[in-house]
Amino acid sequence: MGREVSESCIDSLLTEVVSTYCNRFYANKPELAARRIEAIGYQVGHQLSERYTMERPRFSDHLEAIKFICKDFWFELFKKQIDNLKTNHRGTFVLQDNRFCWLTRMSIDQSPENGTSEELSIMADNKAMQSMHLYFPCGIIRGALSNLGIPCAVSADISNLPACSFVIRIKA
Amino acid sequence: MIVCVAVVGHQNNPLYIQSFTDADDALKLHHIVHCSLDVVDERVNNPKKSGPTLNETFLGLLYPTENYKVYGYLTNTKVKFILVTTDLDVRDADVRNVIFQEVPCCIC
Repeated sequence: MGREVSESCIDSLLTEVVSTYCNRFYANKPELAARRIEAIGYQVGHQLSERYTMERPRFSDHLEAIKFICKDFWFELFKKQIDNLKTNHRGTFVLQDNRFCWLTRMSIDQSPENGTSEELSIMADNKAMQSMHLYFPCGIIRGALSNLGIPCAVSADISNLPACSFVIRIKA
Repeated sequence: MIVCVAVVGHQNNPLYIQSFTDADDALKLHHIVHCSLDVVDERVNNPKKSGPTLNETFLGLLYPTENYKVYGYLTNTKVKFILVTTDLDVRDADVRNVIFQEVPCCIC
């Protein structure tokens, strides 16, 4: 498995994918664009999990599979592990990454708290755009877990860039 | 001599099945592969009391029939590789190291 890929190319490709889907293909339908991007991520995660679980012994339970995602899978993708894993032991897991690789090049809004309404709406648009970029990694996680036999729903939360957290809810 | 190789997906759907003998035997080999899927499920759901074999990917000799030996390998994504061979004095270790190292790599 000696193939190599350029990280900056992937970064640029993903930025362009989000921009194209949001502005050209599904110009006024952000939910559809989000679903398409997430579906692409699902395919990628599905196939990557096949490749990265090859040599390992099988997982005994859900927690083992999630730990695999946090450590080995994330390491293969981003050269680092997930920084924090929390669970409520009832099927919900929160994965926190303090410096998510694909968000490091995104600018952080420094607008003051009580700006004009125009500024606030611009900030809301920016937030929406930023969250668009997280649908792809959510899809990757969902695809990887489904291939391991764990159907789930994944959502992401960015309250402070470049840290972000992914919430995984396992379907009972 | 290996007479049949099969790759079966996680819903027991056949992904690839190839037999290497005359056409008459092919159906019988398909039946043997089909029966071995049940054995795989049984091994996974009722693990023996010995802990170390619980999570192994290589399942070993599934069951011997009159002329054949059937070996199985199960990946994390529930894809099963089944190998039917007529070589009666082949050892588990040989099958594991030679064949089941290479075959899953080719899939990915």
